Amino acid sequence: MAEEIIEAIERYGLSKRNRKRTLFSRIGVVGCGKEGSVIATTAALNGMEVVFLEPNEESIRNAYSRIEEKLDKKISNWGLTENEKKAILSRITGTSVYEDFSGCDFVIEAIRYHDQTGERRIVQRKEVFKELERVLSTTAIIASNVTTVIVTDLASELEHTERCIGLHFLSNVPDSQIIEIVPGLNTSTETFDKVCQFARLINHQYIPVLESSGLVSIRLFLIQLNEACGILLEGISSVEDIDRVLTVGFGHRQGVFRTADQMGIEKIVRLLENLWDEYGSLKYKPSPILLRLFRAKHFGVSTNRGFYTYDDFGNIIK
Amino acid sequence: MNILVLNCGSSSVKYKLLDMESNEELGTGGVEKIGMKGSFLKHIRRDGQKVILKGEILEHQLAIEYILGVLTSDKHGAIKSLDEINAVGHRVVHGGEKFNTSVLITDEVIQKIVECIDIAPLHNPPNLAGIYAINELLPSVPQVAVFDTAFHQTMPDYAYMYGIPYSLYTKYGIRRYGFHGTSHRYVSKRACEFLGLDFENTKMITAHIGNGASVCAIENGKSVDTSMGFTPVEGLMMGTRSGDIDLGVVTFLMEKEMIGAGYVSTLFNKHSGVLGVSGISSDMRDIENAIAEGNERAKLALDMYEYRIKKYIGSYTAALGGIDVLVFTGGVGENQTGTRQKVCESLAFMGLKIDVELNKASRGKEVLLSTPDSKVKVVVIPTDEEFMIASDTLAIVQQN
Repeated sequence: MAEEIIEAIERYGLSKRNRKRTLFSRIGVVGCGKEGSVIATTAALNGMEVVFLEPNEESIRNAYSRIEEKLDKKISNWGLTENEKKAILSRITGTSVYEDFSGCDFVIEAIRYHDQTGERRIVQRKEVFKELERVLSTTAIIASNVTTVIVTDLASELEHTERCIGLHFLSNVPDSQIIEIVPGLNTSTETFDKVCQFARLINHQYIPVLESSGLVSIRLFLIQLNEACGILLEGISSVEDIDRVLTVGFGHRQGVFRTADQMGIEKIVRLLENLWDEYGSLKYKPSPILLRLFRAKHFGVSTNRGFYTYDDFGNIIK
Repeated sequence: MNILVLNCGSSSVKYKLLDMESNEELGTGGVEKIGMKGSFLKHIRRDGQKVILKGEILEHQLAIEYILGVLTSDKHGAIKSLDEINAVGHRVVHGGEKFNTSVLITDEVIQKIVECIDIAPLHNPPNLAGIYAINELLPSVPQVAVFDTAFHQTMPDYAYMYGIPYSLYTKYGIRRYGFHGTSHRYVSKRACEFLGLDFENTKMITAHIGNGASVCAIENGKSVDTSMGFTPVEGLMMGTRSGDIDLGVVTFLMEKEMIGAGYVSTLFNKHSGVLGVSGISSDMRDIENAIAEGNERAKLALDMYEYRIKKYIGSYTAALGGIDVLVFTGGVGENQTGTRQKVCESLAFMGLKIDVELNKASRGKEVLLSTPDSKVKVVVIPTDEEFMIASDTLAIVQQN
């Protein structure tokens, strides 16, 4: 018997008609930092092919190792097997050119806030949107992972604003499977419906949120954090005990200070300032404790010090 | 009459086209990695030639389209047109309490299979995808669903109920369903034919042991107990599944390791069993090699695997009040002579005796292993679920 015959499958289809690609079979992520890597990993975990963009070879390598770290952590918690990890990694490709997004029907912009200043980088984000419009088909959805940035603003200079939408992955608490979906002023119903379908495909729950700074999640969280800082400042209780009340007493998966350290104090301070600008309410004025940590560059897990002190693996030392 | 048998998994579709008059396999194979990078179709032609077709296969419907395309192609096919497929038989994993036998697929049947998704979220949706695809591609061809759980629907209530509040049974259908039903049914029937016994008047235990594994107690042609339960994780220790475990371990680990339901399920379904204990592999051939090299944990894993089979056979012998026939099937049951020997030797107290030399020489074929003076007949019957699905399909289509 001869060896196996190997051929291309396409000619064995029943008809020549154009095949409709399944929606979201290939998605793109611009910026594969803390949030981008969560998005890329989640999509690949759910069977999608993912292309992510980082500016250079080194940052692509770093992004890969961030993704691998996440998957390894899942394996050590028994949530994944080595074989599944291999399959997931084989679905993720890094690139530094926008052209590699062609063929994607959905691209999410998730470029980082500035490492040192926590700045929102609106100008850069607009650039990303323009680049995406250049390489994508007119029906492909362009989304931004937003918290206080307004998607209508980002989309304003594009030709097809109806396919732009905001998304917010709550990536700071591991395995929190919920997304805020934020249609802009010009977002079409079709785009919104498709993104809801995307959420279902990656096994996330979703809530529609009207375009507004801080959405639901960030506003609720920051106010609670600011109040917790107030309690701390008045010497009423300690970091550990306040977190304990939230976890044990209110059933939160983790306390507010722990979450703040994971999000990054530099980002939190900027987010609060953005909300203060937007709403003018004193409740959004960053607590002096947050500012003190920010100035000392005690940003949280990323710098090993924040409200808690951490080892290099993000575990609390004290 | 030509019948196409389809077995749709979450990312694979296996198929076999059978000519039921001549009992000939016209083509067989499978599509792997649906919706992923590197998807391909592996087809084995009637003449035995293997063909690999590579390309993007994004969903089940497309996979089935390619399967039909290959089967009707001039180059590798076996039939000239789709009209030569007279019926399609589907393996459906979970029929819940709604189905105790194979059925012709109608809208009502589809609706009931949809209702079973709650208790089989991983398996029933791809099975349905296969049914929908055939509906669209071969709209006038009758389809039959053959359920993994149907054979075990004859279990008495005292065997299928769990000792938990009855209201949970009525509310969610929490009970033992059992799996591998098509295989247990096929090998038990076939064993009786092979031995010249009356299926309706025989007490037997069938051990379907492979990467997934279950034991079934069969009395007079009916399943009266089986080792898998609400899900396939109960019962024997398997390749990567733990099998029976104290529930206390589950809740203890959830607290200590701070993990939720999804992770626990992966832990007991994918990280456990022979793989978890040995730390090497879920494949018995790798385990045997490791044992030959003196690996203690591989030996422990195999000892546990075999001990649990013996324990289940022992308890089902008690449940049946003695047995006439013990059947081995499945990857390990058909080929792993050492495991068969170990299990049978440990059952000598029942008057069960096998021809050790014959056992050593028998792999993958029907054979009577027990000696003439053995009180229990021990046979190996290679399982053939596709054939069973095809013959059910034939019978149902002819009735209608």
